[in-house]
Amino acid sequence: MAGGSVSECKEYLFKVLVIGELGVGKTSIIKRYVHQLFSQHYRATIGVDFALKVINWDSKTLVRLQLWDIAGQERFGNMTRVYYKEAVGAFVVFDVTRGSTFEAVSKWKHDLDSKVKLANGSPIPSVLLANKCDQKKESFNSKVLMDSFCKETGFLGWFETSAKDNINVDEAAHFLVDNILANDKGLPYEESNGDRIKLDQETVAAESKPGCC
Amino acid sequence: MAAEDLPSEFDVVILGTGLAESVAAAAFSRVGQRVLHVDRRSYYAANWASFTFNGLLNWIQQYHVNELQDWSSLLEDGEEVIYLSNPDTASIKNLQVFCFTSEEDEKEEEASSSTPTNAAEDHNINADEEAVKESSETESAGNTVTNLLVAIDCIISEHSILYNPCNSPENVPDTARVSKTGSYFYLRLMYSRGSLVDLLIKSNVSRYAEFKNVTRILTYRQGKVEQVPCSRADVFASRQLSVVEKRKLMRFLTSCMEETEEQMAYHGRPYSEFLRDQQLGDNLEHFILHSIAMVTEHTLTEEGLASTRNFLQCLGRYGNTPFLFPVYGLGEIPQCFCRMCAVFGGIYCLRHSVSCLLVDKDTNRCKAVIDSRGQRISCSHFVVEEGYVGPERKRVATPPRFISRAVLITDSSVLSSNSDQQVSLVTIPPIAAGCAAVRMVELSSSTMTCMPGTYLVHLTCQSSGSAYEDLSPLVSRIFCTPDSPDQGNTQNCPSVLWCLYFNITDGSGLETEGHDLPSNVYMCSGPDGGLSHENAIKQAEAIFSKILPDEDFCPPAPNPEDIIYDGDATASAEGEDKEGEDKEGEKENQDKLEEAVLTEETVQTATATSTLPSG
Ligand SMILES: Cc1cc2nc3c(=O)[nH]c(=O)nc-3n(C[C@H](O)[C@H](O)[C@H](O)COP(=O)(O)OP(=O)(O)OC[C@H]3O[C@@H](n4cnc5c(N)ncnc54)[C@H](O)[C@@H]3O)c2cc1C
Ligand SMILES: Nc1nc2c(ncn2[C@@H]2O[C@H](COP(=O)(O)OP(=O)(O)O)[C@@H](O)[C@H]2O)c(=O)[nH]1
Ligand SMILES: [Mg+2]
Repeated sequence: MAGGSVSECKEYLFKVLVIGELGVGKTSIIKRYVHQLFSQHYRATIGVDFALKVINWDSKTLVRLQLWDIAGQERFGNMTRVYYKEAVGAFVVFDVTRGSTFEAVSKWKHDLDSKVKLANGSPIPSVLLANKCDQKKESFNSKVLMDSFCKETGFLGWFETSAKDNINVDEAAHFLVDNILANDKGLPYEESNGDRIKLDQETVAAESKPGCC
Repeated sequence: MAAEDLPSEFDVVILGTGLAESVAAAAFSRVGQRVLHVDRRSYYAANWASFTFNGLLNWIQQYHVNELQDWSSLLEDGEEVIYLSNPDTASIKNLQVFCFTSEEDEKEEEASSSTPTNAAEDHNINADEEAVKESSETESAGNTVTNLLVAIDCIISEHSILYNPCNSPENVPDTARVSKTGSYFYLRLMYSRGSLVDLLIKSNVSRYAEFKNVTRILTYRQGKVEQVPCSRADVFASRQLSVVEKRKLMRFLTSCMEETEEQMAYHGRPYSEFLRDQQLGDNLEHFILHSIAMVTEHTLTEEGLASTRNFLQCLGRYGNTPFLFPVYGLGEIPQCFCRMCAVFGGIYCLRHSVSCLLVDKDTNRCKAVIDSRGQRISCSHFVVEEGYVGPERKRVATPPRFISRAVLITDSSVLSSNSDQQVSLVTIPPIAAGCAAVRMVELSSSTMTCMPGTYLVHLTCQSSGSAYEDLSPLVSRIFCTPDSPDQGNTQNCPSVLWCLYFNITDGSGLETEGHDLPSNVYMCSGPDGGLSHENAIKQAEAIFSKILPDEDFCPPAPNPEDIIYDGDATASAEGEDKEGEDKEGEKENQDKLEEAVLTEETVQTATATSTLPSG
């Protein structure tokens, strides 16, 4: 999903998914990262597919990051393919205070890998977030265990995060974007999907497209 | 993915995730109604679904018996129960699968895969005796191209077919050559204009969908596949047409855009007669009747002209032909509406059904439903896919109509060209008197539906017999199968590697009103044979305006890209932004639409192919 370039500056648009069980803090992490906000009680996000974060990556690179929250489909894990479509990265979130949410991580990862792939056929880069680390109890899995879990399950890495105390949220995002950019060098999006049509961009190409024979 | 209890009260409960139900779900949720949307299947989009090849094999394989449970203990005073049934039982029948692979490939496959499987065994379905016999005949003919490996003939009438995600995919038949990427099942095209496209644009649901244009339109005539010229440029470049024909065609297509007195004089008479009297000649008559209007010899002039105009108006909107193909199949479209519903707070559960409705005897209204886990859920309205409603509750004016379908995987295109990435629509007039016209779509690997080097072909017609009876004679003429008449002379025609035949209920033949149902229960029908999908959108809109006559139907959703928070104007900004966005979005869309109309007034020429009156 790379964009065009203006003079020397390259602009990218990345769709990143934020998935995991209900109540693990997905919406909180997005709010923290994009809006620098945290609230114990806010109403569910209604009517918004994703939050947009614009990152001045370096002097030559602008990244527009779409963070897709999972809306009302999370409760039973039945995501439409539409949600996964064209994603280039993902965060899988669990709640360190609830063991069951960690157990669901591999199910989410499996669902993710079965529904979307990079153009070259490999799984999209994903990062595991151990959220609510501000409430961490002693018993939380050791780092060694987490590292090997990530290796087995196919995560690039993991971060202990807190949306509440703003711990590691920026770092995790930076880590993921770094990996997405590395992938993107290989395959410009436009090239592979050039002839696809979006309905709201009609007729632009009707004449310029090659004819049927 | 935790299984927890659902809230016990909703405004609208919707059962079935087909197009009409999904559009209704999005519309209700969009204006703030609390929506619960469930489907007993494990996949979205009901009879509109697209499957991977493995998913399709699973769909064919899985049986699920619907057990009636007694939930009468959950009844309150003054209530009675209406039990619902299983939607797949009635809507699909005569399913037959044939797998042909070449002997050479078989050897390769044996070398590469350690477990060549016999699908007939794996599927626990008896192989059809006759088909097996055919296979030995083919072998004795010494044909190197095909060898019938498997024939499964099962009639699905008492069981549902269910894709079971817990079943391991290991025992998939030896289809390495044909599967891989996935071949999609319910392939359907859509016209680039009409209610569905308008709604996608108006509601902003289009942001979830991507399309490709059908690249060429072909027709089958006198045993040959020919290309139909599709744009003004095509007409002039065409080598099949003489200069005189070219002029005549351009003149005709320009003139038929407006209603003339001459045309009026033919109202009530066949379109074919009108065309004959235009002295266009056989070639042009064929193109216009079968490929542009896509009607039959008997279609009336007014209807034929309307179809011709519709074709011409759709032409050039997004490309060279009037047809769009959703990337990954039409099954994506209902899911786009489901996503919209979820984004506005709708709750989704698959593998979850409604077993029965609780009806207040006095008011004849459905007060609550009991879901498949035995939970009582109150609702003000209940919307249901037609298949869930038992036949005893339906008012059936005419016997249900069926569509015959065939899905083939082939090794080459029916008309090779310099590009192997064509998406072709082929209109095939009735091959004999009394036969139906057939619409065929051939997809190349560019559509993400089949492996490079293979083609996915869908054939559709109105049923008169089983799908196999209706379509296999044509398949064996156009393609090379063990049934093909002249085995010696098949080097030019594509070989069929795998094929599937089945019949499915024709949604256009189903009444949605006047059934023996509570007054707040609304029924939606499944897909019909047509390309316009008007039916589903109209049903959803009608249900919506009956329940909420004063609300807007699917107003544009705000564009999240435009909602930029920069730290201070946050939390509450959401609601406000939405209001503002709505109006702007709407205006923008309208502007775009008008622009499109303006750029299109020049009539281009075209010809397409396809049939099935949607009446
Ligand atoms: C309608 C549709 C839309 C799609 N849209 C997109 C998209 O937008 N973007 C994208 O990148 N990809 C998309 N895909 C592709 C899809 O997400 C996967 O990438 C693709 O199906 C994987 O193909 P594969 O060859 O690896 O098959 P596999 O992953 O080997 O198998 C896929 C199929 O195997 C079967 N299967 C797998 N596991 C099980 C199990 N546990 N139990 C039973 N059966 C099982 C199922 O039938 C499944 O459909 C789409 C696919 C479909 C069908
Ligand atoms: N202590 C603490 N609470 C959090 C954190 N992140 C989220 N929460 C709380 O967890 C609850 C669920 O969060 P939410 O973002 O709605 O989860 P979602 O369902 O995954 O979107 C809310 O009450 C949040 O305030 C965190 O990092 N620390
Ligand atoms: Mg949330």
